Amino acid sequence: MGELPDGLPEGAELASIGGFNLFVGPLYRLPDSHEGAVKRFAFVAAEKHMNAAGSVHGGMLMTFMDVAMSRTSRLISGAPACSTVSLTCDFVGPGRLGELIEARVRVTRQTRTMVFMSGELAAGQRTLMVGTGLWKIAEPA
Amino acid sequence: MSAVPAGFVETKLVDPFEIYVGPIFDSGALGSRRFAFLADERHVNMRGIVHGGMLMTFADLTLGQAVWDMTNNAPSVTLNMQTQFLRAAKAGDLVEVLPQIVRRTRALIFARGDFTVRGEIVFTAASVWKLLGQN
Repeated sequence: MGELPDGLPEGAELASIGGFNLFVGPLYRLPDSHEGAVKRFAFVAAEKHMNAAGSVHGGMLMTFMDVAMSRTSRLISGAPACSTVSLTCDFVGPGRLGELIEARVRVTRQTRTMVFMSGELAAGQRTLMVGTGLWKIAEPA
Repeated sequence: MSAVPAGFVETKLVDPFEIYVGPIFDSGALGSRRFAFLADERHVNMRGIVHGGMLMTFADLTLGQAVWDMTNNAPSVTLNMQTQFLRAAKAGDLVEVLPQIVRRTRALIFARGDFTVRGEIVFTAASVWKLLGQN
């Protein structure tokens, strides 16, 4: 595994292993905050992530939110697999080339089979997206 | 790269991210175009299922194309997208959608789509678009 790109905070580790995650990545996991209540992830916006208007493509931001919530649902349930049931995203502001974009996900409620989450994407102090997601624990641990 | 599905032509894309995850195909007249992509190994997760991110990207792209078609390519941005994942799609599946414009106001366009594989809905998306410069 190569060096982490400049600008990634201390403790970042590669979260993309294979598949679409890696194809659109690399995506990283950052250390939790708020005593573990907030799961954090990051990627650096590259040329391939952009739209023609010079912003990070909405599809990439939603993909990143999906990955962040999927990983969070697995982390907190301990289940090997969880599936997105629904995800709603508000596009609050544009992401720019070269920015470190961070995802912060909180679990609202976990049941035996479901996980309710809310999350935001930010570049520095600017919020780019807020979202709420519902995940099904495919194989309860 | 991948073959063009029968009855479709390759959609001209300009966004680098769309070109990266594409190609995308369409058929029909402007204003009522049907869109499709052929899921391949790039689009799936470690379980072999088409990644939600790819479906949402395809939704943003195709609903956006429909918005473009009806506004003669007026500049617009996605404000919001709501999605539901009903079934898994797999590599080799042709994912299709006929976007619907539900309502247009001066400044907003409400769009939605049912995304199907072999005629079964796998995913639905609804999005709100803002026409830039319109109050």
